[in-house]
Order: sequence, then C-alpha cells, then structure tokens
Amino acid sequence: MRKSTILLSTLLIAGSLLLSACSDNGSANNSEVVDTPATASADTGGTEAAASPAPVPAGALSEPFTATDLSKLPAVAQNRTDTIIVGLTDPSGAFTPYFQESGYDGNVSSLLYASLVTVDDKGVPTPELAESWDVSEDQLTYTFHLHKDLKFSDGSPLTAEDVAFTWTIQYDKTYDGGSSLPSLNVKGGKAYKEGTSKSIEGIKVIDPQTISVTLEQPNATALVVLGSNVLSKAYYGKDYKFGELEYIKKLHEKPLGDGPYKLEKFIPGQEVRLVANENYFKGKPKTEHFIYKTSEGDVWQFLETGEVDYASFSATEENIEKLKGLGYVNIIPYTPSTYGYMQVNLKHEQLKDKLVRQAIVYGLDRQSIYVDAAQGAGSIANIPASPISWSYTEEGINPYKYDPEKAKQLLDEAGWTVGANGIREKDGKPLSIHYLGSKSKNTDIFIAVAKENFEALGIEFQPEIFADFNSLVSKVEGGDYDLVSFSTPMLTDPADGFMQFFDGEITDYENPKFLELYNKALATTDIEQRKAVYKELYQLLNDELPIIFTSYKKTVYAYNGRIQNLTVSPFIGLAGSLPDWTLQ
Amino acid sequence: MSTYLTKRLLYIFIILFAASLLIFCLYATTPGDFITGNIKLTAERKAELREIYGLNKPVLERYGIWMKNALHGDFGYSLAQQKPVLQLFNDYIWNSFLLAAVSTFLTWVIAVIIGVISAYKQYSWFDTLVMIAIFAAMSLPSFFIGLFLIKILAVDFKWLPPGGMTTTGSNAAGMAYLKDVVRHMTLPVIVMTLLGLGSLTRYFRSNMIDVLKQDYIRTARAKGLKERKVLFTHALRNALLPAITLVGFELPALFGGSIIIEQIFNWPGIGQLYMKSFGLRDYPLLMGFTMLLAILTVIGTLLSDILYRVADPRVRL
Repeated sequence: MRKSTILLSTLLIAGSLLLSACSDNGSANNSEVVDTPATASADTGGTEAAASPAPVPAGALSEPFTATDLSKLPAVAQNRTDTIIVGLTDPSGAFTPYFQESGYDGNVSSLLYASLVTVDDKGVPTPELAESWDVSEDQLTYTFHLHKDLKFSDGSPLTAEDVAFTWTIQYDKTYDGGSSLPSLNVKGGKAYKEGTSKSIEGIKVIDPQTISVTLEQPNATALVVLGSNVLSKAYYGKDYKFGELEYIKKLHEKPLGDGPYKLEKFIPGQEVRLVANENYFKGKPKTEHFIYKTSEGDVWQFLETGEVDYASFSATEENIEKLKGLGYVNIIPYTPSTYGYMQVNLKHEQLKDKLVRQAIVYGLDRQSIYVDAAQGAGSIANIPASPISWSYTEEGINPYKYDPEKAKQLLDEAGWTVGANGIREKDGKPLSIHYLGSKSKNTDIFIAVAKENFEALGIEFQPEIFADFNSLVSKVEGGDYDLVSFSTPMLTDPADGFMQFFDGEITDYENPKFLELYNKALATTDIEQRKAVYKELYQLLNDELPIIFTSYKKTVYAYNGRIQNLTVSPFIGLAGSLPDWTLQ
Repeated sequence: MSTYLTKRLLYIFIILFAASLLIFCLYATTPGDFITGNIKLTAERKAELREIYGLNKPVLERYGIWMKNALHGDFGYSLAQQKPVLQLFNDYIWNSFLLAAVSTFLTWVIAVIIGVISAYKQYSWFDTLVMIAIFAAMSLPSFFIGLFLIKILAVDFKWLPPGGMTTTGSNAAGMAYLKDVVRHMTLPVIVMTLLGLGSLTRYFRSNMIDVLKQDYIRTARAKGLKERKVLFTHALRNALLPAITLVGFELPALFGGSIIIEQIFNWPGIGQLYMKSFGLRDYPLLMGFTMLLAILTVIGTLLSDILYRVADPRVRL
C-alpha cells in the first residue's frame, strides 16, 4: 500500500507537470473568472479576469478586429439560432452566491443573480437593482432604494427583506464563504455572530423598497460589497436558524435568482444550461439559451470546430495571427484588472533596505521577461493598480527602466560591496536571494533572465519551484523565502490592490504615511478625492517598493462574428452585456 | 477454502485500516490545507474557517472523526465543490468507468489476438512489425497521441467531435443519445487502447512463446492434432492463466479514471476531479476517493486469487 501511495503521488505530480506544460503551449484560457475567492493564482497564467474594449492595446492587437469571412464559420455554429455557447473551466454546481468556493461558479451565478449595485467599465459603481442610494454625512449609513416590482425568476417579489436576509446570514457563525461583507463591520454584526443579539442592529428595513445599513467605520468599498447579489428569503431562508447553515448546500444546485438567466440543467463536468428569465427586471434577454460548456485547458479545438462561440486567449502575436486567420471570429483586446508582483520578505536583513529593493527592480530586465518573452502578451507594472482602473496613473511614477549600472550604484550606496568571489557582501554576509515560484513557462523564463541579471549585479540567486500552489503558500507562511511571485485576484475597487498588506501576507511593512493615506482614501466616497489620494499612495509605494511590481497580463477575446452587441466589462465579465447579445 | 477466505477478509480489514490511517496522515501532513491557497483571506478569517472545518484539530483526532463518519457511510462534503462526496462520485465515476471498461475490453481482445499470432509466427515479418508498432505506441506520450488525433480527425477532417461526452445543448435520448456518446468516446477509447496495448501484447506474446515450447504442445502436435486446436485449446488456455492475476489489478483502474486522457478529451470523469482536489487540498474528497481505490485494490487482489484457483485446480488456497 505504501508503495502504491508513493507511486500515486509521484504520478499525480508528474501528471500535473505534463498538464501545465501542455496548457501553457496552447496559452489559451477559456475562463473569464469574475472573481476568484478560492483559487487565487500564483504568477502562472492560471486565472484570467474579464475583458473590455480596453483602451490599452494588447500585444499585436491594438484595436478590435472584425471577422472577415463569416461563411467560414463551421456548420455546427452556423446552425445555432437561439443558443450561445461559452467555455468555462470547471463549474462545480455551487451556484449560490456567497457560498461558492470557485470563481467558475461565480461566472455562472453572475448570470443567475443581479446585484443591487454594479460597476461600469472603469470600476465606478452604477445602479442595478437599486434605483439609487444615499450615503450619510458621516459616510457610515447607506440607504438603498430598490426598483419597484422586482421579481425573482419564479415570479415572487424581491424586497428589502430579502436584502436584509442576505446580509444577515453572512454574519452567521457557521458562514464559511469568502464574502468580504463581514469585514465591513456592520453595526451589531459582531453581537449577532456571537449570538448575543437576535438580529443585526445596523440593518434596517424601512419599507419594502428601502433598506439602510450602518457601519462602524467608513469604508469606500462598502457600496459595492453591500450592493452585491440578493438571495430570496422565502427560498433560502425558509429553514434558517442561527448557527445552522448546512441546509443551504442542498439548494446550491437549484438556484433561485433574479438575473437575466435561470438554470435549466447542470450536467456535472459537461455543461451548465441556462434559459432566459422572463421576470428579469430589464426585460427578457434576447437570446433564449446560453450554455457554459466545461472545457479543461486548451479551448482552441472547440473554437475551430464551432462548438464554442467565445473564448479568451493570451495576447501573443502567434495567437492573434491564428485567430485572425480563422476569419469568422471578432477579436477584442483587453487587460484584466489584476497585477503581478513579487512579495518581498521584509524581515530579512538584505531586503529591509529600500535601496536594495530599488536596485533589484532597476537591475531586473522586466521588459524581456514579461513583454518580449510573452510575445507582447504583457506589460510592465509599477503601481498596485491595473491600467484599466479609474485610479490608474503614471504621473510621478518611476518606471524603473532596466539600468544595471544604476542598480550597482544603489547597492554600493546601501553598503553591499563586491567580495572576493564576485558576490556582494555586507558585514561578512553574502547578498543572496531565495526566490519561490510556481511551475510554469513564465517562471522558467523569469529564472533564466533573473539569474543572469542578478549575477551581473553580484547577487547570489537561489530559485525554488513548486508544482503546487498550496505548498508554495505554506512555504511562504513559514517565512523561508526572500522573493515570491504572485498575481492578485480580480480587483474591483482600487483599495483591493493593497489587500496583501492587510490580510496578513505582508505584515512587516510599517509606514504610518501609507496607513494614513490608505484610510483617507477609504473614508470618502468622492471619486475625485479618492483619485488624488491614490495617486499619492501609488507614488509612495512606487518609491518604497514594499512589494516589487512586475507585470500586467494582456489577453484577447475571440467570438463568433454572428454575435452582436458583445462587450465585456473588466470587472463583471460577460454578465453586463449578455442580455443584449443577439445572433445575427 | 473457507478458512482461507475468513483469513483473507480479516487481513483485508487490517490492510484497509492501516491504509486509511497512512493516507490520512499523508494528506494531513502535505504542506498547506484547503484554506491556505486562498490568499484573499485575513489571518483571522483563516483561523475562523479552520475552526469551522475542524482543520485546527490534531491529525489523529481528525482521523477519528473521519473514520467514525465513514463507518456510518458519511464521507462528508467536498470543500471545493460544496457537495456530498458520495454524490460527486456518482456524478463522475460512471463516466470514467464507461471509458475504462470499453477500452480495457478492446485492449485485452486485441492484445490476445495479436500476442498469439506474433508468438506463433515468432520472428516473422508480422511479428517484427507488431514489435516496432508496440514500441512506438509505448514511447509516445498520451497527450501527444491525443492532441494529434484531435487535430487530424476532429479539427481538420471534422469526422469526430474534439471532446466532451455529448453534443453541447443536445436533448437527445434513447438510441440517439447512445450514438452521440459512442461518437464522443471513440477518440479517447482509441488513445487508451493504443496505450494499454503495448505491454499487454508483449506479455501475451512471451507467455505464449513459453507455452509453445512445452512438452505437452509437442505431444499434442505429435498426436496429429490440428494446428488450430493445438494453439487455441491447449496453448492459449495455459498462456492466459497468469493473466488472471492481471484482471484483479484492472479493477481499481476501471474506476480510477485517467487524469490525462480525461483532461485532453474533456471527458467528465473522476480522474480530473481528483487531480483538482489534490491541488486544492480538498481532504474529504481526496480521502474518500483514495479509500475507494484502496478498497477496490484489495477486492481485486482477492478476486484474482480466487479466479486463479478456479482456473487452475493445482493452485491451493
């Protein structure tokens, strides 16, 4: 038995290497993950965010490309008249928002459930189920005014009671989902969680169309977090008792929502069939059927045989040429709302010094690693925000252009002098960097270039690669590293870009100025004011480099040229424009 | 025989118990747990979730809880999929079984036929060609053959679907459904059969060669029996005997799913699910599935021992 277990795990590891190898070659990615609560990815090209008709050109494609010859469209796709099929990596069937563990399920539920508040292409909150909202002077109380006559897909009314129920269960002590609502500190939420109060004091249903909620401290992200999906109290709350949320799992596969589509059938491992919801508050969607087809890894063959209508690919020149060659797909470039970075172990002596961190950035040829080696499917990041965010700026930002001489000079300045064997030393200690990365093509390229770059600076470079994300993270948690590559999950609000500093990953960056600015940006909901504060924050982090910014990913979406009215929001994916899609 | 069986059954329980403990500890001590991978959570929330899932308890205590529930037929909820583990098995395992059963059957039939013929005509041009083909098939990686066939047969010629188990969105039932599934499983079955064929053919060939050199074959021929009778009644039966041991080992493979083939062909099988669960440290699912394989392995071994006794009366149990 022991033998076979060892053999089994060896096979698993070998298998995973093979799989990641072949998925990298295809560099296709068929998932447009709306949010990735459980599957945060390392810098591997694992999860992709959604697309937009982005202002930023992606690789070889700077503007949307329209299909040149629709007659080439495979017959399978030609014959579909009321059905659109999109590939999705792995929906598990947990379609209840707030309770799903995978972002892929989030893609499904984003079509089944509408939100109170949504965001536009720049990430600015806009009304959806809520007609409007008021924020009190002290920025603590949010009052939402719902549209009249809102209905769930079964025709039952959607009221403020449902909203109150949705918020309340996320404070249940057995709630195990990934929602960030509990961290908003709704007044009375803690008492509810501890069981000392029967309801949450801060949540007040004023009338069936109006609900208000009071927080304990201001938080600019609250509007979007509070304004998320609504669960029907009559359906999901029927069996609810405080401290017992197990029952809700039984409802995951039978969702009752209020979004543009409702679930027709879920076939595990194969497809999720959705059908237009006639009770959708904006009117029934124009295409009757929408199907998410489960497709692992390479999705090329499905686009080529017409089995899917829409897929995303890494924006390499090769991919774009191949897609253009198909003739029947429209292509749109986009940049996901994420950024790649290297976490720095600030506990370690050699990296405590800002000058060393700056030297590393100057001395690392990021252009070669993230742009050239990726055939243009990336660009360099210098701040913790994606170029598509409303807060993005390059004003006063040091681009840290590759400059080994400058890097050497900074290292000299920091007191690290070249020792006997070419390695820099300070107080008798050599300057060495222990790097952790996940197994991927990108990591291989990084290591090859970084090794050369670092050796030229006189830094000893010790890379270590992990085939498995969980092992990597637990090594990081153990503190045995200097640099480690990560990329953020989807960022909606600019505040999300600083998440690492608050969730315990980076505990050693203590700068009162940073905290002050961060809180200042959260304390107001005025976008212009926030923009100004974020600019200052970005400049500060760009100079201090408590983490090392690496890259943005570039992707393209290719879709069946017959589909009209398709746009993809970088923040909410397909869900925004899908109800308007038609097949020509 | 019956004392043998009781003894064997007793061993089986001891083996399974030891295996479960070992596997549980192995999984529990792999770095990282289900919560670790979610870098979006605060340290405080991580602690809360570990408490809810019971991941903060000592390994042995967790094993005790798991074992107690398992003995009551409760294998828990998958953390990632939010479904009962047994329901997940039911959702995926039969798809894997279908693929594995059909390709195993084909592999055996073809391997026996080719093995016998090439043993009979040892060193003939047929034998040489078969050997070359077998080495070629054995040395090519499965994902290469898979992707190659998809490219040729599905994308270029559009003869067969490139993946999946049914046509997306199809509501076919009855015969139409069956036909749809058969079309979809053709490519993966070809690849799995090709991959399994190599070693099995070589195995049958060498067994057959050994048997053909035996005295009783010479005797049979000397008696003037027809060559066909010598080959299929006298030789094949004896050459197949050792293969019975192999039958037992096929059992776990039938339900285990093939991670790579299922991934390449988008087949909704358990292999893929297992692989993903490993990456996410979804312990309830991992434990449940590994135990299922362990159970199938011991049952398979028992089965092949008994079959062997039935086939060859000289064997004593």
